[in-house]
Amino acid sequence: MTGIKIGQYVHGDSFLHSLDPRIKIICCIVIMVSVLINYSWYYLLFHLLLIIMAIKASGLSFRFMSGCLRSIRYLLLVTFVLQIFLTPGEAVLSLGRISISQEGLLIASINLLRLLILFFGSLLLIMTTSPIKLSAGIEFLLLPLNKLNIPVHHFTTILSISFRFIPTLIEEATIIKNAQRSRGAQFDSPNLIVRLKSYMAIIIPLFEASLLRAEELGEAMDSRCYTGHPNQLRMSSLKLMGKDLVLLGFMFLVLGIGISISLGSS
Amino acid sequence: MPKIIDVKELDFIYMPGSPYEQNALKNISFSLDEGEFLGIFGPNGSGKSTLVQLFNGLLSPGRGTVTVCDTDTADKKLRQQLWKKVSLVFQYPEQQIFQISVYDEVAYGPRNLGISETEVRQRVYLALEQVGLIPEETIGVTPISLSGGMRRRVAIAGMLALNPEILVMDEPMAGLDPIGRKLILDIINNRKEHKLTSVMTSHNLKEIIAIADKIAIMDSGCLVFFGAVSELLENNNILAKYRLELPDHIQLLSALAERGLKVNTNIRSLNEAALEILRLLA
Amino acid sequence: MDNQGIEIKNVSKKYNNAGNEIAVLHDISLTIKPGDYIGLMGMNGAGKSTLIRMLNGLIKPGEGKIHINGMDTADSDNMTSIRKLVGVVFQNPDNQLICPVIEEEIAFGPENLGLPLSEINQRVNWALHAVEMEKMKHHSPHLLSGGQKQKIALASILAMLPSYLVLDEPFAMLDPVSRWELLAQIRRLNTEHNITIILSSHNPEDFMHAKRLIVLDHGSIYLQGSPREVYSQDGKLAAIGLEAPGIYQLIRQLQQAGCYFSDNPNSIQELVEIICQK
Repeated sequence: MTGIKIGQYVHGDSFLHSLDPRIKIICCIVIMVSVLINYSWYYLLFHLLLIIMAIKASGLSFRFMSGCLRSIRYLLLVTFVLQIFLTPGEAVLSLGRISISQEGLLIASINLLRLLILFFGSLLLIMTTSPIKLSAGIEFLLLPLNKLNIPVHHFTTILSISFRFIPTLIEEATIIKNAQRSRGAQFDSPNLIVRLKSYMAIIIPLFEASLLRAEELGEAMDSRCYTGHPNQLRMSSLKLMGKDLVLLGFMFLVLGIGISISLGSS
Repeated sequence: MPKIIDVKELDFIYMPGSPYEQNALKNISFSLDEGEFLGIFGPNGSGKSTLVQLFNGLLSPGRGTVTVCDTDTADKKLRQQLWKKVSLVFQYPEQQIFQISVYDEVAYGPRNLGISETEVRQRVYLALEQVGLIPEETIGVTPISLSGGMRRRVAIAGMLALNPEILVMDEPMAGLDPIGRKLILDIINNRKEHKLTSVMTSHNLKEIIAIADKIAIMDSGCLVFFGAVSELLENNNILAKYRLELPDHIQLLSALAERGLKVNTNIRSLNEAALEILRLLA
Repeated sequence: MDNQGIEIKNVSKKYNNAGNEIAVLHDISLTIKPGDYIGLMGMNGAGKSTLIRMLNGLIKPGEGKIHINGMDTADSDNMTSIRKLVGVVFQNPDNQLICPVIEEEIAFGPENLGLPLSEINQRVNWALHAVEMEKMKHHSPHLLSGGQKQKIALASILAMLPSYLVLDEPFAMLDPVSRWELLAQIRRLNTEHNITIILSSHNPEDFMHAKRLIVLDHGSIYLQGSPREVYSQDGKLAAIGLEAPGIYQLIRQLQQAGCYFSDNPNSIQELVEIICQK
C-alpha cells in the first residue's frame, strides 16, 4: 500500500483547508466554466498558474500531485493523440496516409491543458475538504431547489450515508477478498475467466451484505423518526470569512475577464 | 512432537511508512505442537486477527519468522500455497457465502484444489456431517434462505472440506447461542481425537479455557502469556489481571486460595471444581 | 397518568415463509412498569427481536395489542410519539450509525423531531457525556471500535430522551470489557435517570442488574421471575438450550451433593464468604 489514495481527503490546516466549502465548490465550478468558454493560451496558462498556487496553498506536495496524473495518463494520451491526427489542417508531419496538422497540435495542447486544470481543480477540492464539509456545502448550495419541491434533504441524506459507508465497504471487501483467497480464489490468475469468477466471490457477498445493511439502517432511521429533516447542526458549522469573500470576488473577476475576452474575439 | 507452528521474534506493521502506519504485533515468539488446540484470547484490536492471517500466508512477517507446516511464510511462492494446508475461517464467515447451493458453497475450496468431482462430493458430505447437518437434506438448499447460525455452519463446512492440517477460526463463537457454541467445541474436540491441530481466537476466555491445550493471551499487539492451561491456572499475576474473564468456578477457587484456604486451583471443569469444594467442606 | 407503562396483551405474530406459516410469537402478555429493568432471554430465533421491534411499531402485532403509555402501536398516527418514548438500540453497531460524524449521528433524532438548534446542541452534549464519549464528538464512526460504536448508538437514542430504552442483543459483537462498561452505563440510566430498560441477550451474565427476567422459547414465555428465581431452575433452562451463570450451576451441584446453604448465595463473593465461614 502506498498510503494516501488519490482523491481521499487529506487532513490538514492549510489555507485551502480553512476556506468555506461553499466557496471552494463555487470556485471550482467557476474555474471549470472559465477554461471551457475561453481557450486563449494566456488565459489558460494563467489558470495553470492559479492551480500551482493553490497546490502550494494546500500543503500537498507537488510530487504527490503530479503522481496523481498517472491515474489519468491514458485518458490524456488518447485525447491528445486522437486530436493530433484527426484535426484537419496544414500538415506538419505525414506518416503515410495520416498526418499531424498544425491546428491539431494546437487544439490538442489546449485541450490537454484544460483537462489538467479541470483534473487538478476538482482533485484539490476533494482532497482539502472533508466529506462532511463537502456535503454541508453541497446541501447549502442545493437548498434553493427546495422551493421547486425537490426533496434536497433526502438527497443529502443519501450523500451523507454514502460518505459514511464507503470506508466500511472497502474494509468489508478486503476481508471477503482475503477469506475467498483462503479458499483458493485466484485474483491474480493469468486466465481472465478465472479472475472474473474470483471477483464474483467478492461482489455477491458484498451485495448481499449491503442489502441487509440497507434493511437494518432503514429500521434504525425509522426508529429515530426520520423525516428528511433540515440539517441545522451541519448548516450551523458553515461560516463565511473575509478571505472567502475576497477569493470569491477574485474568481468572478477572472471569469468576467474570460467572458469579455471570448466575446471580444468572436 | 514436531512443531507445526513456529513463530520467532515476529513484528508486524500495517502500511509501514504511511500516515496510517500501525504496529499490530510486537516481538512475538511461541510454538505449537501437532495435534494441539491453541486458544488465542485478547480484546478486540489486540492483534489476534492479524496473527492468524500470518498462519495461512495472507500476510507475511515484517520482522522475524513464521513457519507453518514446515513452510517459511516469508517466501511468497510458498506462502500463496499455504491455504491448502491451513484453513482460516474469518469472523462472521456466513457473510462470505456466495454460491447458490450449499453443495457448491462447500465444494468451492476443494474444487480449487483441483481434485476429482467424486472426491469433492465425498468431502462435502463428510464436512456437512461434521458441522451437524444432514447432507442429503441440505446440499440443494440456497444458503440465503438459512438462518445466520446455519449459514455459519455451512461456511465452516466449506473450510473443513479442504481437509486442513490446521484449522484456524477467528472469533467463531461471536453472536452464537449456547447450541451454536457447543457445535464449535464439538468440531474442535473431534479434531483433537484425530490428532489434528486447531487454533481459535476469542475475546472470551471462558469459551476456550475448558478445552484448550495451549493458551495465548494478547494485549495491544504483545503476547502477555503463552503456555499450557495448567500453567495459566498457577500464574497468579495473570489470574489476578484476567480474573473477571475467567469462568465463575475458577474465579471462586482462586478467591478461596487468596483467602488462605488450601485449595487446588489447577482445575478446569465445573464438575471438578464442585468436587474440590466438597472436599474442602468435608 | 394511570396508563403509564407498556401493556402487551395476547400478542401473536406469524410469518409466511414459502407458503408455510411460521409462528414467531405466540400469545405473549406482559406488563412493564416505568422504572423497570427487564431481561429478555432466549436462543436465536426465540422471538426476542420480533417482540422488541413491536415495542416501537417497526413490526405490528398479528393478533393482540400493544399499548405504550396508552397509545396503540398499530395506529400509525401514534408512530412519532411512540418512537420518541421508546428508543431501540440494535445488535449490529455498524448498521445503525447513519452519519459520517458522531456529532451529527447523535443529532439525527433530535433534528427529525424539529427541535431548535440550541436544544439539539444541548442534547448532543448531554448524550455524549452520558456514555463518556465527549472526546469523540468530531470523529468519524468508522474509526471507532465495536464497543465505542455501540456506545454512540446508545447515545444517539438517549438524545431523543426516551422513557423506555430497548436494547436488542447489544453485546453480541462486543468484547467483555466493552460489555461491562456498557452494562454499567445501562444500569446508571435505570437508577439515576429512571429510564425503563428492556434488554435482550442469550448470555445469562448480561442480566445481573435486571429486576425481572423473561425467558422466551419458540415465541412463548417459558419462564419469568427475578434472575435468582429463573437461574435456580437451571434444569429447565438447559432443556431449551440455555444456561444459568456458572456460579448458579456450581451452587446447584453442591446442593445436589448434599451441601446446605442457609441463605442462598447468588454471587461468587457470597459463596466465598459462606465457604470461609464453614
